[in-house]
Amino acid sequence: MTAPAWPAAPARGRLPFAEAVRQRTLPNGARLFVLENHFNPTVAVSGGLHAGSLFAPSDRRLLASVTAGELAKGTERHTKLQIAEDLESRGISLSFSSDSSDPVGVDIGGAALSRDLDLFLDRLVEILRFPVFPDEELDKEKKRIVGSIRQQQDQTSARAYEAATRRIYPLEHPLRRRTGPERIAAVEALTRDDLVHFYQQRYGAGTLQLVVVGDVVAEEVFDALEKCLASWKAGPGCEIPTVPVPLEAPDQETIQMPDKANADVLLMEPADLTRPDPSYLACTLANSALGQSSLTSRLGVRVRDTEGLTYGIHSSFHAGHVAGPFVVSVTVRPASRDAAVASTLDEIARFLRTGLIEKELEDEKSSRIGKFKVDLASNAGIAQAIDSAVYYGFEIEYLDLFPTLVEAVTKEQADAAFSRRVHPEQFTIVSAGSFSKEGGRT
Amino acid sequence: MDSPAAAKADHTVLAGFDFVKEKSGIREFRLRSNGLRLLMIENRVAPVVTFAIVYHVGSRNEAVGYTGATHLLEHLMFKGTPDYNRERGTAIAAVLERLGARFNATTWFDRTNYYETIPSDRLEEAVKLEASRVRQSLLRDEDRQPEMTVVRNEFEMGENSPFQVLYKHSFATAFREHPYHHPTIGWRSDIEGMTTQRLREFYDAFYQPNNATALVIGDFEGTQALETVGRHFGSISSSPCPIPRVYTVEPPQEGERRFIVRRAGQVAWCALSWRTVEALHPDTHALAVLGNILGGGLTSRLYQALVEQNLTLSVMVVPWQLRDPGLLSVFSPVRPGVEPALVESTIRQELTRVAREGVTAAEVAKARTQIEAEVIFDRDSTDAIAASLSEAIAVADWEWYAQYPAAIQRVTSEDVRRVAEAYLHDDGLTVGLFMPKNGAGQTSSVEPEP
Repeated sequence: MTAPAWPAAPARGRLPFAEAVRQRTLPNGARLFVLENHFNPTVAVSGGLHAGSLFAPSDRRLLASVTAGELAKGTERHTKLQIAEDLESRGISLSFSSDSSDPVGVDIGGAALSRDLDLFLDRLVEILRFPVFPDEELDKEKKRIVGSIRQQQDQTSARAYEAATRRIYPLEHPLRRRTGPERIAAVEALTRDDLVHFYQQRYGAGTLQLVVVGDVVAEEVFDALEKCLASWKAGPGCEIPTVPVPLEAPDQETIQMPDKANADVLLMEPADLTRPDPSYLACTLANSALGQSSLTSRLGVRVRDTEGLTYGIHSSFHAGHVAGPFVVSVTVRPASRDAAVASTLDEIARFLRTGLIEKELEDEKSSRIGKFKVDLASNAGIAQAIDSAVYYGFEIEYLDLFPTLVEAVTKEQADAAFSRRVHPEQFTIVSAGSFSKEGGRT
Repeated sequence: MDSPAAAKADHTVLAGFDFVKEKSGIREFRLRSNGLRLLMIENRVAPVVTFAIVYHVGSRNEAVGYTGATHLLEHLMFKGTPDYNRERGTAIAAVLERLGARFNATTWFDRTNYYETIPSDRLEEAVKLEASRVRQSLLRDEDRQPEMTVVRNEFEMGENSPFQVLYKHSFATAFREHPYHHPTIGWRSDIEGMTTQRLREFYDAFYQPNNATALVIGDFEGTQALETVGRHFGSISSSPCPIPRVYTVEPPQEGERRFIVRRAGQVAWCALSWRTVEALHPDTHALAVLGNILGGGLTSRLYQALVEQNLTLSVMVVPWQLRDPGLLSVFSPVRPGVEPALVESTIRQELTRVAREGVTAAEVAKARTQIEAEVIFDRDSTDAIAASLSEAIAVADWEWYAQYPAAIQRVTSEDVRRVAEAYLHDDGLTVGLFMPKNGAGQTSSVEPEP
């Protein structure tokens, strides 16, 4: 049998983002971005506004996530079920969420077939602008959240993480996680008025950004969105209050949880790295060499590959608008905890002594640039990249410059940015699992 | 762009490949020298390409004593070949990281797959690397020892998850004779006790080019990609022995089965699983639509009956699609304070209602649209296509994959009612409960600083 000829390949290469991304800012502050990509009849949306837990009272940070989660539970025009029916019957996904790891933003995400673009955008704006927060839906959701918190309390990773944040962050810090019972009490006390009040205070066009990527015509998207967003109040502006980074102090905790075959260990310290920080790339390139991958980074090669003590070991800076912690997470069988922690600390100390090897830095740069390209391989990936750049205050051009910026990082910059922020002697070490009295003590 | 000469050359045997057929944008080739099958799909959504290789071996090919062999072998496949190893500074994962690849390997009942999504101009490096581990993996005992404990920790992580515990027990209870009985990760003592020699025998039996399918998906130059794969895979010999086949058949289930797992925990879980059919069976598509109607989103029947009524925290319906007859499963974590028995009876009532009264045409239309949309969204990225196609060729074949959307569109509400009646009956049911022991998760002790 003979093969038909291959179709002619279209010309390679794409326009620079700075040229391809169209922008329109509305008088009320809403910032809209569209990139046309006609390869597949789909459209992806990524965006958000500043209504995260940083803006909620410190004793009930979860007001932000509950408010975001309740937006789609009914509007002035449609019930929850009608909205769901409209979206699900067309295979449209649409979500509004506020993750405690990013105290600033509420994330908007979704995808649709491009033939359903009008309804997709219409419901998105309707949910944002006209939620009614029905009492009965909030009651149902509170019960579900309480159950989910109890479910989380069963997870060694969640227990270790929240305990570690309580040891390094003061009561009012937005990244401090309350205990399960405290969170349950806070959820149970929430009222519809709390949600309405928070919504009225924080939701508005002033901090809204929406990125639309896919098989669309930019001007049509701008016109459609402007038509339904133009009359929305501006609300609060984009100023983000400064959150002080607490002083470091070493600490330790073991959380005993029965019947857990696996234990989770976290080594954590507060760090001052934010995503817009000029040293972000240098610092995270160094971290990639230390612990981004369980298979290839130094921690992975030592603790997993050579010693076989863990399935997964990672280190990372939780850097957003608010500077989060530096975290090393390790999964272990409980009896191996001491050995895994000792090796981890030893490897980090060695890394700090010697710094990056030049070849490591070159490899990490190559990896970061390659991954950046691969992540841009879908409408959703492109939308998220544009959204993230804008959210952190970069110009669109940043996406075009990214490979050059990565290439420009020197060993000295990477070593300095990393060693300034990582101090093993200051780590708080928390483990959660079933530890015997004899073994597994750190 | 391909030159006219290159395009013309396509019409003959090229780079040692025979062209087999083309349908729905998928081209099948077969390497003359060793039987390796190659599937190619052009998708120029971005300048990236996914190269994947699927070995038609999974935990279905294991038995007592070496359960988990396929998975442990998958881990050892990253330990190196003569050309790619840590000693030479060319460890497999490190090479892929340098390329900026999104890569991994996974093992499941019917297959093992290795895949890497890379910038288009790095395709050859991925092809070369995968070709080297078809027959040249080092499989050293000194690598197996630490990797065994890595895998054991992966097993232990699974044991922490009530969902994973229930899924493993559900298959172990529903299947007594067929190897779907044992989990892909294996039983703990087999993971610990398996010898390197046993793993090598397994490797020699199944890691053969004539038991593998390579996939090239994305932005590539057709002729050039074919030559690249031919150049690196062409010299590998096919297996000296036939690939061992699985002949064990699970007999019909003749009555409801139940199990309970009692462990420390906060939340109970229910799992109900019914025996169904193999992926290639004509009822597969109606079962997929049924699964969507039962659990696909907020408007689905079980979400409305369970989550909206505050009986459970979520619900997941899985119409497993496997090479041999599988299951349709419902998993749901029970809201604290609710009796698991009430959740179980609610699920059973809802499914009985579907079997007795059928579903509406609107429900079927919605499910069909959702599945159609999923297929189109898949085409947004080369690795999503690779993932779906890998599963399809493991449990059926690529034509089944190509025809899937059309087959879903043909499903009627009567088909859905009929399959519900045919398969969701008590004699084919396995009920599993995860019951938390009291007082769990409450104790916490604080140790002094070191």
